[in-house]
Amino acid sequence: MRQKSKFRAFTETKMFTLLLLLAFIVVVFAVLTPEGGFLKPRNIKNIINGMSVNAFLAVGAGCLLVSGQIDLSVGAIGTLSGVVFALLFGKYGVPVIPAVVVSLVVVAAFGFVNALLINRFHTQGFITTMATGLLAQGLGYILDGGKAIAIKSDAFNAVGTKSIFDGYLPISVIIAVVVFIIYGLLMSKTKFGQSVYLVGGNPTASYLSGINPKRISYILFINCSVMGGLAGLMYASRMKSATQSGITNSSFAGMTAAILGGISFGGGAGGMGGAFLGLIILNAFNNGISGVGIPPYWQQVASGALLLIALTFDYVGIRQRAFSLRREAARVGAGANAETKGDVR
Amino acid sequence: MAGCIEFSGISKLFPGVRALADVSFRADSGQVLALLGENGAGKSTLLKILSGDVKPDGGRISIDGAEQSFQSPTDALRAGISVIYQERQLVPAGSVAENIFAGDLPGRSGVVDYKALYEQTAEIIGKFGLDIDPDEPVGRLPIARQQMVEIMKAYRRDSAIIAFDEPTASLTDSEISILFRLINELKESGKIIIYVSHRLSEIFQISDKITVLKDGCLVTTLETARTDEAELIRAMVGRDLGDTYAKLSRNDRLGDTLLEVRDLETEDVHGVSFTLRRGEVLGFAGLIGAGRTEVMRAIFGADRILSGAVVFDGREGGFKSPKEAIDAGVALCPEDRKEQGLVLFRSIRDNITMPVLQKLKRLLFLDKRAGHKLAQSAIARYDIRTPSADKAVVELSGGNQQKVILGRWTSDMMDTKLLILDEPTKGIDVGTKAEVYQIICDFAKQGIGVIFISSELTEVINVADRILVMKGGRITGELTRAEATEENVLALAMKDV
Repeated sequence: MRQKSKFRAFTETKMFTLLLLLAFIVVVFAVLTPEGGFLKPRNIKNIINGMSVNAFLAVGAGCLLVSGQIDLSVGAIGTLSGVVFALLFGKYGVPVIPAVVVSLVVVAAFGFVNALLINRFHTQGFITTMATGLLAQGLGYILDGGKAIAIKSDAFNAVGTKSIFDGYLPISVIIAVVVFIIYGLLMSKTKFGQSVYLVGGNPTASYLSGINPKRISYILFINCSVMGGLAGLMYASRMKSATQSGITNSSFAGMTAAILGGISFGGGAGGMGGAFLGLIILNAFNNGISGVGIPPYWQQVASGALLLIALTFDYVGIRQRAFSLRREAARVGAGANAETKGDVR
Repeated sequence: MAGCIEFSGISKLFPGVRALADVSFRADSGQVLALLGENGAGKSTLLKILSGDVKPDGGRISIDGAEQSFQSPTDALRAGISVIYQERQLVPAGSVAENIFAGDLPGRSGVVDYKALYEQTAEIIGKFGLDIDPDEPVGRLPIARQQMVEIMKAYRRDSAIIAFDEPTASLTDSEISILFRLINELKESGKIIIYVSHRLSEIFQISDKITVLKDGCLVTTLETARTDEAELIRAMVGRDLGDTYAKLSRNDRLGDTLLEVRDLETEDVHGVSFTLRRGEVLGFAGLIGAGRTEVMRAIFGADRILSGAVVFDGREGGFKSPKEAIDAGVALCPEDRKEQGLVLFRSIRDNITMPVLQKLKRLLFLDKRAGHKLAQSAIARYDIRTPSADKAVVELSGGNQQKVILGRWTSDMMDTKLLILDEPTKGIDVGTKAEVYQIICDFAKQGIGVIFISSELTEVINVADRILVMKGGRITGELTRAEATEENVLALAMKDV
């Protein structure tokens, strides 16, 4: 009996819905792709391989979204980190490790500036990060002179291109999974993670309970930028070069994965497990629609539609929560309002 | 133009709260009727029913004998009713003219005729004898002028019935005199004016009749010329104390001084000094906006202290952040439970463990089981009605939500020495209120110093050992429980300083 009720509880979770969605996508594309190519080992490898870059973005954006904030600059910042690395390594002969460190410090500075503008000067996060993103993008163009810079380091490129187990398990994917596990533990098991959820749920109440929302905001913005930097480096490693557009357009991919996975746009809800599944669904979906031969531009339309669907689900969730809030307010709060709130101020 | 509006047998029940019960009165054209009552007397609910915002459970409103049925505020507006609330309902970025004509801008086929708009606005402003630029964004006007714009809006609509909800709360004396001149002009032009306030002096100045409400019931309607302040206060306060207070088991042993505040100055608080002893329940009475919450926020490190001293538990210098205050043993249950107290969509456990996360840390991770135990014990201690500690607090009733906050600050992992309760009984039912009073007394028995802010006079003078009364950011008086009566506390709360 107990077993059964546990199973029933699981069927009511978001994770179960996501697994169903994934299964649905897999079945549909397995049927639609020519010769069931979708499920061929090589294609599955492609799907998980595509995860590695966006995994960093989904984790960084996911943590920020849980705290109720947003970062649109992370893609451009990631691209910039690849450019900075390629320049330091290729042009100035800085060894790999110091070059990686410097490029991550540069992107961390961007995260700090985002947090500073938002927390100190109270600018809107959406516009602020859009602006710093443009800034990072422009700086990237200036630094690389508009050309891709080749990276001639076998060690660096191995991270993004080599695989183990007969080429079936890319190193980059192992890294992505490890990142998800670390951040999953961080968010669900630690004091810091708990504080992020509380701040996302109600910053004022958190502040009055001894949590420092600003400190958390700084940490998460810097973290998001560094994650973007790692994504940019991973991408450069896979491409064996720092390209001009890099991962600039991937900010949305990371957020789409996180929101699809149930991290609420309003903050305070969702988790890394969901974001992980969201990312797999996103990649499977993108892979599938190109596999069935949908032209690239239509693929973009489909991705946009997927983000809209994810947002709609999120909206419905928020509305349900707001509904229960209202219902509760009608039950108790209305009396409170009538009794004291109205005639006092 | 309407000659009179009649309220007959108006009743409104909110769950757990009887907001209005069988209230009947009438207001006539060319008169100012004042509605007077304490917080919670039902004045606001009455205005909301008048404006079509809230539907009454019983009774009817009729204008010149014709029964009205308002489905929405729009219906009330159409019937010629304008209610001017204290929170101004203006668009700050819009011009004075746009605000006055909002929803009815002159023009043709969707294009606004700005020339006509400004001319007509200038005309109205001229009639009021004010010096306001029709083109000025409303947000840049002083508060008083914004209030005037709100009144001009009602004037422009040519509403026959105009109700004011505490219009003078944010006005200076000279602004009040302009307002009163306008009200008198409106009155002379045959409007029906309903004026809600708890400031006695101005009610005598402006009204012709006074209707007094208490606990949702009509007490009496008096002719302003034939009554005096004493009679009004007696009518407002009434005489029905339950024996809830007599049954309280109180603390009778006070300890040494726990908190000393000297000449505290913040943006909203002026020269506040007081002391609190361990085991003492110190009440803060006053009307809303008297500065009580602001004093507490300053003590708690949430608002900046400009000058003065806060000495807590022998430690000088005050607190720079709520975290510092909490670490030293100060706890604050804020006035607005939902906005400032709780993380509504998180569980009871998460809400209770908020300030003790550091103590729940075992190496890297939180000890969830210890957190759960903490929540369980709070649920048991305060009899919180919930199937489990995992339930989101949004699903609890107001009284149980308040208990979750109490549980947060008094869990076994907290060492709370000073507990500040800001309106802890707001919006909770009568039975739970009595529980909260006993909980307060129990804290005092444990040697905790309790500061109890309440706008309900009865509870603050019956639960607290000593009562400080505030007005306008200053303390206007101090009374012991034995000395305190609703009359003298109210007099101090309204005292002109």
